[in-house]
Amino acid sequence: MTDSKASPRDLRIGVYICHCGGNISDVVDCPKVVEAAAGFDDVVVSREHSFMCSDPAQEMIIEDIRKQGLNRVVIASCSPSLHELTFRRTVERGGLNPFLYEHANIREQVSWVHGSRPEEATAKAIRLVRAAVGKVRLLTAEERIGVEVLKRALVVGGGLAGLRAAKSLADQGIEVTLVEASPFLGGHTAQLEHLFPHADQARELMAPLLRGVADSSRIEVLTRAKVVGVEGYFGNFQVELEVQPRHIRGPLPADKLAQITEACPKSAPSEFDYGLRERKAIYMPYPGCVPEVPAVDMQSCSRCGKCEEILGADAVDFDEQARRVKVDAGCVLMATGFKPYEPYKGELGYGELEGVVTLAQFIRILGALPKDAGELEVGGRKIQSVALIHCVGSREIDGVHDPSPHRPLRTYCSRVCCSASLHAASEIRERFPGVNVFELYRDIRSYGFYEEVFERASRNRVVFLKYSDYEIPVVKAGNGEAALSVVVNDQLTGGKAVDVPVDLVVLASAMEPGDAGEIVGLMKLPIGSDGFLLEVHPKLRPVELAVEGVMVAGTAQAPMSTDETSAAACAAAAKAARILTRDEIPLDPFVARVDLSRCQGEGLCVAQCGYDGALQLEEIEQDGEKVKRASVNAVLCKGCGACVAVCPHRAIDIVGCTLDQLYRQVDGLCA
Amino acid sequence: MSAASTPETRILLITTADSSYPGADTVGQMHLGYPTNSSVIRVPDPVMLPERFYLYCFKKGFDGIVVMSSGAECPYEGSYERLAKRLDRLTGVLKEQGIDFRRVKLCAICTVCAASFVREVNQMAQLLDEIGPVDRDAVVLEEEPAARAG
Repeated sequence: MTDSKASPRDLRIGVYICHCGGNISDVVDCPKVVEAAAGFDDVVVSREHSFMCSDPAQEMIIEDIRKQGLNRVVIASCSPSLHELTFRRTVERGGLNPFLYEHANIREQVSWVHGSRPEEATAKAIRLVRAAVGKVRLLTAEERIGVEVLKRALVVGGGLAGLRAAKSLADQGIEVTLVEASPFLGGHTAQLEHLFPHADQARELMAPLLRGVADSSRIEVLTRAKVVGVEGYFGNFQVELEVQPRHIRGPLPADKLAQITEACPKSAPSEFDYGLRERKAIYMPYPGCVPEVPAVDMQSCSRCGKCEEILGADAVDFDEQARRVKVDAGCVLMATGFKPYEPYKGELGYGELEGVVTLAQFIRILGALPKDAGELEVGGRKIQSVALIHCVGSREIDGVHDPSPHRPLRTYCSRVCCSASLHAASEIRERFPGVNVFELYRDIRSYGFYEEVFERASRNRVVFLKYSDYEIPVVKAGNGEAALSVVVNDQLTGGKAVDVPVDLVVLASAMEPGDAGEIVGLMKLPIGSDGFLLEVHPKLRPVELAVEGVMVAGTAQAPMSTDETSAAACAAAAKAARILTRDEIPLDPFVARVDLSRCQGEGLCVAQCGYDGALQLEEIEQDGEKVKRASVNAVLCKGCGACVAVCPHRAIDIVGCTLDQLYRQVDGLCA
Repeated sequence: MSAASTPETRILLITTADSSYPGADTVGQMHLGYPTNSSVIRVPDPVMLPERFYLYCFKKGFDGIVVMSSGAECPYEGSYERLAKRLDRLTGVLKEQGIDFRRVKLCAICTVCAASFVREVNQMAQLLDEIGPVDRDAVVLEEEPAARAG
């Protein structure tokens, strides 16, 4: 620690340099930064710590604030997106206004990008700390803006995560609007059969949840709906939805449903069965689905009127139009799910060779077989041997997998496919003991308790063949012994080439980010490099997005199993409930502020403002005269700063990011 | 890979809080390198910066400025258009003062535009390698009202 005398202005600044384990200090000479910071004007404390976010380090800062009388704090560590909030709370706990703290990012902007140039990195870290000190000198104590909370949640997505979150919120007494893009709830989980690890039947498991959501007086369900507009802010979102018509009013008696399905002359590939089978233009995907009202696919429907003849004119309306619905919500919960990757034509024989299907399709094939089926039959062919190939579309490597023209490389692990493949392999062996099953894998990643899924497959005498990251198996037409042949250089036998004759190849394909829709652009929701919605911090704020008031749950965030999805949904609901059970929430004060001593009422700033009511000229009395001066509505102002640049008198600024503060940052960077 | 660092020149990267600043984080998380003579500042939106700010940066020591906006996807209504017009006016001012207008570059960087981020910094570094530092004595900076007390 280094002390120096306080300046005449009584600024007492504490500077804290984090090593971040070795993430920073392996590159940046932290003691040198500490020493340099100690010499900056008004810095009275300069310290370093292995982990500044740790409890002992935070207590150190708190103690310094109290004992050293610090009135400004600078922390140089990782990105503020991770710990700005943490350190604001630290500063606040020390008795200082939380906005008298400034952050310098010396990990993402220094050590992680200049690792090969430690001296220059250290010099840059010193510049960034000096800039932060320059800015913190001009920071002022601020109060958060309190806004009333609309006590309703908008849940986007009606799959497992959305249902679980909606039910959890409703059970806590919170009103929910649940929006689902497709005509039916349940998402991809409803398309599964026996879930690993315990082989529970997916739709039976979901039935109480679906019924609970459908019967809840607190949950408004809108299917065939999507978000088309969002206004407002944290606690007060005004969301516009477009709801496509169902064309059928229900519910319908089972016999009527059977009659119209039989009578409908038009069909289309079944989404529920991943195109393996056809469904009618008027359809319900499975018995017991929710809503229990069929939907009409107007792209397939010929308007022949046969369903109308059976149901009566009151139950059918082909001319029903899309409608717009407005929902006011205090927070938004994104549960838009994933989509199963469909391999491109020719990828491991998919789409070219008969008998090559994805795991998602194979689960539907198994589901369609009678429970007492003695033989495994696919497309009328008796299957005697099956190869399941892992990592199709996952963990792709540049130079091994071709990113074009089909799609960008998907470098992430889809996490669920290993356990799902092993589970499917065991199911085949247990239901059809005469079928040989081969698992072609890169690494078995049946993590945690899913190890038992692997052990079960091993006990079931599934044959394992390991291929290397750089030698993808080849699937080709069989030579007569079987319909297909899979060639793999098996790493378990020293890279020996093994030609496996099989009747069926099942591709354990990746989980891709689902189509979250326009809301991503409308709300500027952060997307990670893998295409999934990006949480603020995987450990510290795992279900929150950087846009305040927006939570994420389930596979919209990353590949997850059903139990992980349920847990994530409950966590997101708990986070949302914490907001929605309050009468008022505090917003950051980073909006425009007018300095009335400088404002001349010319209104140049007002002309630049793009938000109605956020900034206007108001008549006030000043020095005994009535004058017009700019006035900011702090709730409506978005804090963009368009007004700042045009004021010739420097009478308007953004709190926490004023021009003067930016000039001092520049001074610090250039000194 | 990053372009050669040019310690005698300095690059300012003006980033937006919602878009290109997280983009800089993504670059860091991917451990991509870029020249050490570049520094990031974070603003809500570069539209808040008057022409004078850019001149101030040149006067104080920066030689190239990359304005990393959110582009057409900017969350603020009409902001990108206003920014583009301001930088257009700035170009005129730079020409008047004999400052190479290529020293200010407007681009759009999103939260995951890591490759674009690095490319923009490297391109500016390469330009500065060619044209060298700013003649700071030639930068004319108009006086402003005094700074408010902190």
